[in-house]
Amino acid sequence: MNLRMSPQTVLVLDAFLVQADEWKYGYDLSRITGLKSGTLYPILMRMAERGLLETQWETGEPGKPPRHMYRFTPDGLRFARTHSQSHPASPLDRVAIGQINLGLPVLDRAVRGWR
Amino acid sequence: MGAPRSFAAALLRAALRLAPAASREWAAAMLRELDFIEGDWAALFWALGSTGVIFRHAATEWRAHFTNRKTKEEQMNETGKKAIGFMSGLLGAFVVVLCALGVQLLAEFLFPTLKIAYRTMTHVTTVIVIPEAIFIAVAVKLWPKRGAVAAGVLFFAVAAGLHIFIHFARQ
Repeated sequence: MNLRMSPQTVLVLDAFLVQADEWKYGYDLSRITGLKSGTLYPILMRMAERGLLETQWETGEPGKPPRHMYRFTPDGLRFARTHSQSHPASPLDRVAIGQINLGLPVLDRAVRGWR
Repeated sequence: MGAPRSFAAALLRAALRLAPAASREWAAAMLRELDFIEGDWAALFWALGSTGVIFRHAATEWRAHFTNRKTKEEQMNETGKKAIGFMSGLLGAFVVVLCALGVQLLAEFLFPTLKIAYRTMTHVTTVIVIPEAIFIAVAVKLWPKRGAVAAGVLFFAVAAGLHIFIHFARQ
């Protein structure tokens, strides 16, 4: 399976691995991973194109527009379990994408610029 | 609804309208998520990022489309080149036979006492055997690099050989 394992991709895989059988929404994934829409959605698109994710429109209350949901396919779950362990997101990567802070804004900015 | 959120919604709706079919589902998904984002400015930044994604995805689709079209054109060009090669091989072989025939006629004209026109073996050797030997040698030589030309030459050689065979068989 050809999927570039960037730190951001690893974060998305990790987010999907939590309660992997449940459907997840785009904005919720953005909040969990700390990724902006411009980073998150290309990863979701690539994963869906490669058959790692299944997508579905939520059949919610009548009159309300449906919401797009995502969940691992069996192949995706196997892929994530294999690659998430071999490519764990490092603490510095988590700082770089703004998921965690070092406490000093200067240091955070320096890490983001460096990574 | 604040101005940034209104602008964000308008931006994503416009992107959804302009997006190609392959990107439309994703554009609709990003637009729908806008309703769940707390904060007008956060919604605007979400929309800006999403619009960028939609146009990048669309650009990738278009690039793939044009790349495939170019490949088909290249394939057609390749077939055209092969056809031209085959025809040039065929024509070249035909010219060789015409030259051989011309040499024989010239010899008849220059040396009428030899009565070449009445010597079947001379005719067969000049117009058939020597050109056929040349065709086979040329085809073997050209086959590795100019297969289409070699195929044209061989095709002519086989056709000429069959023609002669039928000619002698009917006598």
